[in-house]
Amino acid sequence: MRRPGLAGLGVNLAGFLLALWAAPRLPGLWRALFPEIARPVWESQGWFALLFEHLLLALGAAALATLIGLGAGIACTRGAGRRLRPVFDAAFALAQAIPPVAVIALALPLLGFGAAPTLLALVLYSALPVMRSTVTGLDAVPATVLDAARGLGMGSGRILARVELPLALPVIQAGLRVAVVLAIATTAVGAVAGAQCLGTPIVTGLANGNTAWVLQGAVFTAWLALIADQALRLGLAPPR
Amino acid sequence: MPRPLALAVPEGRARPAPPREALAVAILAALAALCPFLLGWISLAPNRLLSPRPVALPMQAGTGIAVACFLTGCLGMVLLSRRGRGLPWAELSAALAFAGLLGAIGLGAGAVLGEAPRMARAMPAAGFWLAVLLLALGAGSCAAGRGATPSRFLALAVVGGGLLLALGLLDGLSVVREGQARGEELRTALVGHLALAGGALGLALLVALPLGLLALRQPRLEMALMTLANGFQVVPSIALFGLLMAPLASLATTWPALRSWGIGGIGAAPATLGIAAYLLLPLASGLLAGLRVAPPALVDAARGQGMTPWQILLRLRLPLGLGVILGGLRLAAVQAVGLATLAALIGGGGLGRLVFQGIGQLAADLILLGVMPVVALSLLVDAGLAALQARLGAAGSPGR
Amino acid sequence: MIRFEGVTRRYGERAAVDHVTLEVAKGRLCVLLGESGSGKSTLLRMVNRLAEPSAGRVLLRGRDVAGIEPETLRRGIGYVIQSVGLFPHWQVAENIATVPRLLGWETGRIATRVDALLALVGLDPARFRDRYPHELSGGQAQRVGLARALAADPPVLLMDEPFSALDPGTRRDLQRELRRIHGETGKTILFVTHDVEEALALADLLAVLEDGRLIAQGRPAQVMEQDGERSVRRLFGEESMAFHRLATLPAQALAQPEDAEDDLPVLPAGASLKQALLLMLELGADRVAVLPDGPHGGGTLYWADLVRAA
Repeated sequence: MRRPGLAGLGVNLAGFLLALWAAPRLPGLWRALFPEIARPVWESQGWFALLFEHLLLALGAAALATLIGLGAGIACTRGAGRRLRPVFDAAFALAQAIPPVAVIALALPLLGFGAAPTLLALVLYSALPVMRSTVTGLDAVPATVLDAARGLGMGSGRILARVELPLALPVIQAGLRVAVVLAIATTAVGAVAGAQCLGTPIVTGLANGNTAWVLQGAVFTAWLALIADQALRLGLAPPR
Repeated sequence: MPRPLALAVPEGRARPAPPREALAVAILAALAALCPFLLGWISLAPNRLLSPRPVALPMQAGTGIAVACFLTGCLGMVLLSRRGRGLPWAELSAALAFAGLLGAIGLGAGAVLGEAPRMARAMPAAGFWLAVLLLALGAGSCAAGRGATPSRFLALAVVGGGLLLALGLLDGLSVVREGQARGEELRTALVGHLALAGGALGLALLVALPLGLLALRQPRLEMALMTLANGFQVVPSIALFGLLMAPLASLATTWPALRSWGIGGIGAAPATLGIAAYLLLPLASGLLAGLRVAPPALVDAARGQGMTPWQILLRLRLPLGLGVILGGLRLAAVQAVGLATLAALIGGGGLGRLVFQGIGQLAADLILLGVMPVVALSLLVDAGLAALQARLGAAGSPGR
Repeated sequence: MIRFEGVTRRYGERAAVDHVTLEVAKGRLCVLLGESGSGKSTLLRMVNRLAEPSAGRVLLRGRDVAGIEPETLRRGIGYVIQSVGLFPHWQVAENIATVPRLLGWETGRIATRVDALLALVGLDPARFRDRYPHELSGGQAQRVGLARALAADPPVLLMDEPFSALDPGTRRDLQRELRRIHGETGKTILFVTHDVEEALALADLLAVLEDGRLIAQGRPAQVMEQDGERSVRRLFGEESMAFHRLATLPAQALAQPEDAEDDLPVLPAGASLKQALLLMLELGADRVAVLPDGPHGGGTLYWADLVRAA
C-alpha cells in the first residue's frame, strides 16, 4: 500500500508544481476560457511566492499549534492540570461553534490588515484539535497498562514517553492531520484580511469581477489542500 | 464504580468534595471580575477616524447597580460551583454577570457620550471583551460534565441582552447605533443568512439521507460517498465557491432560462450548493455511525424474531443511534451557519455582507454588527441541538 | 418436524455445512454439538433462513422453508442467541412482546402472555416486567431471552449457544429450567453448543458435527457407544469417555431390585450413573439406594455393577 501511495503523491505534487509554473505562461488558454475578460492571466505576484507564503503561514501556525496543543493536552491529563480540563473542554466547544472567519474579522480591527489576524485564528483553530486528540488518546490508554508500567518501576516521565504517548500516537496523528488541513484552509480565508496566500487571487478576482483569477486561485488552493491531505494520510498513517 | 472513600465517611456527616469543575470555574470567574477594572470598561473615539482610548466608567446609580450585578454574578459562580448540584446555578450566575457587565457598559456609554463631542463614539474596551470570553468559558466549564454546551447561560444571556437592548439601555454603544442606522439592512442580512444556512442544510439532507441509507448495505457506495464528502471537506471553502463560479456562470450563459431560477456564477445558488457540499461529511458520517450503534448481534436477534429490514431500521437502528445522528446534524448545522458568512464573497448575501463591508472599510462597528449575530446564531443552534440530542439521545438508551 | 436433506452451505471454496441429512421429530430436544467452525450455527440458522443452503433443502413440518417468506417464517420460530440480543431501549415486557406485537396481538392478550412467560422462566412478573435489560444479570437476561423466544408460542425453538457466556452455576440452573420448560411445553428444540457436558445434560437427540459434516447422531447413549469414530472420541476427550457414558445412563437401569438398607446414602430420582459415581466417591460408599422413578423400580446400586458399565 505504501509504495504506490508515495508514487501517486509524487505525481500529484509534480503536476501541481508544473501547473503553477505553466499558469502565467499560457495566456492563450485563459483567453480561450474567458473571452469576455480583458486580463485573464494572474500576474500581480508569482504563484510560487504565494505558495511559499501560504505554506509558511499554515505550517508555521500548525507547528506552533502542535506545541501548544500537545503541551496543554498532556498537562490536563495529569496532576493538578486535570482540574483545568473543563476549561479546555469549554474552549473546544466554544471554538467549534464560532467560524474561523468570525475570529479573523473580529481580530482585524485590533491587529490590522495582513497576516496577524489570520495567524491568531490559525493557532487557535489548529491547537484545539491537537489538544483534543492528545487528551482523547491519553485517556484511552488502558489503566491496566499504566498499572503494569508502574509495577515494573517506571517513573511518570518515562511512562509518558515510553508507554502513554506511543499508545496514544494514532489518535494524536489524526488530530494533527485535522489541524494541518484546517490550517491550510483557514489561511486561504485569511486572504480576506489581507494575508498573502493562494487565496489572494480569489479575493482580488472577486473584488474585480475577474472570474479567471478566481478560478486560478481556487484550483491551486484546492489542489494544495488535497495534496496536503494525501501526504498526511501517507506520512501519518497509523503503523500496522 | 466502587467508591471506597465515600464509605469511609461516617453517615450524616458526609460532605461532598467540590466537583472537578470547581477550581476552573473559580479561576475564570475571578479573572473575569478583574478584567474590566484592569483593562477598562469602555473606550471613546472622538470620531469615526481616530482610534478609541479607554475612559473611566462614570459612577452613577445605574452603572453602580449593573457593576454590582456583575460582581455578584462572578462571586456566585465561585460559590455555587463548589457543589456538584450547584453547577447549573453557577451557569445561570454567569449569565447574571454577563447581563450586569453589558448593562454597565451600556449605561456607562450613554453617560460618557453626554459630556463628549457630537461625533464621539463609545465602544466596549478590551476588558469587556476579555471578561465576556472568560464568562463564556466559565459557563462552558460548568457544563463540561454534560457536553460543554452551556445552553442555560446562552439562553439567558441572549434574553438578558435582548431585554437591555429593548429597554434602550445599550443605545450609547456605537455598534448599537450602527445597527439602528442599518436596521433594514441587518434584517435582510439575517433573513438571507438563515435562508442560506437552512437551504444548504435541507439540500445536503436531501442527498445525504438516501445515500447514507443505501450505503449502509453497500460498502462500495459507502466508500465512494465518504471519499467524496471527505474531499469536499479538505478543499477550503473559499476555493470551492471559486470553483463553482466559472462552471455555473457558463451554464447560465448557455441556457439563459436558468438565470431566472437564480442559477448563475454569483448569487445565493452557488453559495447554497457550496455550503451543502461541506455538510455532506458530518451528515453522512453521523448517519452511518448512528445506524451502526446497534451491534450486529442485536440486529441478528431482531432478524431472527422476524422483523423486516424496515422495522429493524425504524425500531432498532434509529432509536439507538439517534444521539449520534443528531450529533452529525448539530455539527452540520453549526458549519452551515459559519459557512454562510462566506457566501457574501460571491454575492450570496447574508450577514457576511456586513462583515466584508466592514473589513473593506476597516470599520470595527460594522464588522461587529455582522459577526455578533453569526456567533450568536451558531452558539444557539449548537446549544439547541445539543439539548435535543441530550433529550432524545437519552430516550434512546435509558440508564446510560 | 425439522428435516435437513443433503444440506450444504459453501462460503467460497470452503463448505461450512457439508451434505447434512438429519431429522428431528416433534417434541425432541436435539443438540448440535461441535467445535467452533464445525458448521453447527450455520446449520441452525438455515432453519429460519438467516443462512441459505447452497444445496439441499430444509423442511419444516414437511414444507421447504425456501418457499416461506423469511419474516413470516421467523415469527413462527423462537430464536435465542448467546449475546441474548435484548433491545436495550425497551423494557423487559416490550422485549418479550416483540413477536406478538409484530403479529398484531391485542394489548390485553400480550400483557397476560408476558406475565405468564416471566413466571414460566422463573422471574417474578411484578419485579421484572418494567426493568431495562441493563438492570438484569446475565442469567436473568437469558431467561428473558428465552421468554421472548416463546412469546408467540412457536412450535420450534432455535437456541444458538444460549448459555455459553454464563458462569457455570447459572448455566446449570438454566439447563435444568430448559429441561423443565421443554417437558412442560413439548416444543421441538434445536440447541447448538460446544460444551460436551451441556450437550449430554440436555439432549434427547445428539448430532455431532465436524468440519461441516455430521459424524454421529442418535440418543446420547448410542453416540457414546460409537467408540469406533475417532473424531467423536477426540471431541469428548479420550480419557473421559467412560465418565461421559455414565452421564447418559439412568442409575435405575443398573439398580438391583432389592429393598435398600435403611442407612444407605440415597440418590435422587432420575439421577444418572455419573451422579451415582460422584456420590459414592464423595462418601466412600460401595453402594447407594436408588429411589423409584416412573417405570423403573428403586433398589440398590453396587460399585461393581457401575464399574462394569463404564
